[in-house]
Amino acid sequence: MNKRLIASAFIIVAPAIATPASAGDAVYGKFPVTLKSWMGNETNSVAYTGQIARQVLHDSLKKLAGKGNGKPNAALQAEMMLYFEGKGKNRKILAPTSKGPFVIKQKTVGEISNPNLAGKTYKGTVSGMPNNMTGPELIKFWIGKAASANKGVDMANGYNYPQLISKFILGAVFYHQAVDNYLDEKMTAGNKPNNKPYKKGKHYTGKEHSWDEAFGYFGFPAHGLMLSPSQLYDIAKRKPTAVSIADANSDGKIDLYNEMVFGPAYYAAGSDKSKKTAYAKTIGKAFLDGRKLIASADGNALNSSQLGQIAQYARVIEENWEKTLAEATFKYAGSCFKDLQAIKANPSDAKVLAKYVKHWGELKGFSLAMQTGRKNLGDTATRLNRLIGFGPVMPNSSQVIDIDSGGNYVKDQASGINEYMGHMLKVQKLIVDKYGIKARKNDQLAGMSDMLKKLGSGSAAEND
Amino acid sequence: MPILDWINGEYIPHLLDGFLNPQKRVSLLYLSIAAALAIIWSVYVSRGSVRKGFLIARDKLFSQRVWFSHSARGDYKLLLANHALLLLIAPLLLSKLTATTALFFFFIDIFPSGAAVLSSTSPLLVAITYTIFLFLLDDFSRFATHFALHRVPALWAFHKIHHSAETLSPLTVYRTHPLEAVIFSFRAIVVQSSAISIFVFLFGSSVDLVSIYGVNAILFLFNVTGSNLRHSHIPIGYGRLAEHFLISPAQHQIHHSLDPNHYDRNFGAALAIWDWIAGSLCKSRTDMVLKFGLTDRENLQSQKLLHFYFSPFRELFDRGRNDPFYRNRNHRNLTKNAV
Ligand SMILES: [Zn+2]
Repeated sequence: MNKRLIASAFIIVAPAIATPASAGDAVYGKFPVTLKSWMGNETNSVAYTGQIARQVLHDSLKKLAGKGNGKPNAALQAEMMLYFEGKGKNRKILAPTSKGPFVIKQKTVGEISNPNLAGKTYKGTVSGMPNNMTGPELIKFWIGKAASANKGVDMANGYNYPQLISKFILGAVFYHQAVDNYLDEKMTAGNKPNNKPYKKGKHYTGKEHSWDEAFGYFGFPAHGLMLSPSQLYDIAKRKPTAVSIADANSDGKIDLYNEMVFGPAYYAAGSDKSKKTAYAKTIGKAFLDGRKLIASADGNALNSSQLGQIAQYARVIEENWEKTLAEATFKYAGSCFKDLQAIKANPSDAKVLAKYVKHWGELKGFSLAMQTGRKNLGDTATRLNRLIGFGPVMPNSSQVIDIDSGGNYVKDQASGINEYMGHMLKVQKLIVDKYGIKARKNDQLAGMSDMLKKLGSGSAAEND
Repeated sequence: MPILDWINGEYIPHLLDGFLNPQKRVSLLYLSIAAALAIIWSVYVSRGSVRKGFLIARDKLFSQRVWFSHSARGDYKLLLANHALLLLIAPLLLSKLTATTALFFFFIDIFPSGAAVLSSTSPLLVAITYTIFLFLLDDFSRFATHFALHRVPALWAFHKIHHSAETLSPLTVYRTHPLEAVIFSFRAIVVQSSAISIFVFLFGSSVDLVSIYGVNAILFLFNVTGSNLRHSHIPIGYGRLAEHFLISPAQHQIHHSLDPNHYDRNFGAALAIWDWIAGSLCKSRTDMVLKFGLTDRENLQSQKLLHFYFSPFRELFDRGRNDPFYRNRNHRNLTKNAV
């Protein structure tokens, strides 16, 4: 690692970490093998290759979803399904790929691991879409639609499938698996104990590996705690300037396994760039501290106080992760509002409409992602789903209200763009009220508080 | 000492802000402009004699008689005490932002298709409309509040404190009972939150205010044209025609006058049109000689803070006891006896 990087990393991380004895201390890199029954000569118990491979499958699937030419395309659909529920070591990494000096080490998914997405997708019903589909059913439905849409976008109904599929998976696979599985039941006393291997023949314990898997779903580089939000952001964007920041082992290549930033961490960093939040750092630090705690048990079962502490770290991760999804939903509700304003000013501008459909896909995807966590969002979910609807309200006021048994969209006249703009504002208010988010990008209500500030406080005691 | 910290950290800075911030009526900027206007007016009424003009200005605006009178010292006590009191109760009052947001979503609920209907209007036009609308609404609400303070006996008991000033200086603007201050801040909340929520609702985004030094441009003009002289002994009039539209300093002095013909006249703040419409307009004359204050005996005597704060409550209590069916149709006879 180059010296400048270490030095700058120290400046950034030093205040955030309680006892940074060295930069290595802030890296989710190497933890000793503590499993007492293990006789092999492995020295590192950390492993989360399956999770990173799924990040890559997600990125590649998103890319494929935008490849359609507007006509039914069975081959494309089959290829998407290969990335969603298939297996196969030779699946090429379609994204992220090398970009200029940002050279990526792996070319195939199999070089990392060989899992699928479907098996780990939220199995509950998705109440924000018609027909009570489960998570995997909804993604398969969208894959089918994407295959026959032009560049993955259905401009008549207002669906941008790459966005819908991608944003939903950020919740339904990554967030869901981390907070509702690995950080939840797998962190209880009776499950995946720390004095036994995770699986027969593995050199890491049940708790070590469960924790690592959750970490892998966050998509955070091992040295991520030493990086600023904009550095994390630049890595995800594969910027030339980010090469030296990402390439922690200075081998000239970015290792997707532990040097790359993926979706969940990218959105956390996106909020953090506002300097009003520190989601990525908070989540990354809770993961690291939790892992240190598990390592300190030295291969013994965790006692109740250790389990209690682990549960606390897990709650910090969950709470902050949930907020990153809420921030994104908030942000895209604001984008849709602005797009609708532009559409009203210029109804025939196809570019503006395409932007709206894209932003709506992100809004819908993230709002559904929020509903795949450990908790049932109850009334909040109902209200979010009603406000956003099954599809965007289009310039001619039409909106998808159902999907028939043949998988065709059923449309109706909605009460108009203006009312839907009001819905977007209500989404923003609902999210602020329920989640107290702070970054609040594209805040359409902030204008009112600015206007109030302009009027000043006056003096109430002035008499006429 | 937490109290000292509070005085240093909150009280004093807020107090100073009142004199430095151009959003406040008695900021030094407006006070100096008022002083200059007073001198110019004095020279004018002395038919151009600068020496005589300065003497008049000194006598009417800069004399001990004005700034150190019994009445002026009463103003200062109220100014200093109210300032502390209002700082302490401010957090208890409804937040403007809460009110604005609530109103905004209320409009969206009752009139969903109206949201952002005017969003393609030019920003400049919107800003001008908003600035004028806000000024009109604000000024009318001041008139209406002031009208009620005089006409509702229970409210007059409090507003009387303001009218008990016998000498007027720009700081008399702060001679206010704290309960009135609560009413005034409620008025400001209603005006600002409705103006902002209506405009954001109709135009779909935040709207600019046409402003000068961060102040509503119209209000700025009002302040630089001598709003501070309304509480003074400089009777600048605007002439018979203009006084139908704008309240001159002399017209507001009429509002404070002891002459029975002047009772309940000129409630307006900046605009005279509300008084004109309501029939309460009284134009100034160059030959008027005004006396200020109340004829009520107790009010003539006391400039004590406790008296200011509690006498309205005692008055209401006594009235209620003496005459439970008290209905005041002509409160002036009870409170301001003709000289
Ligand atoms: Zn009055």
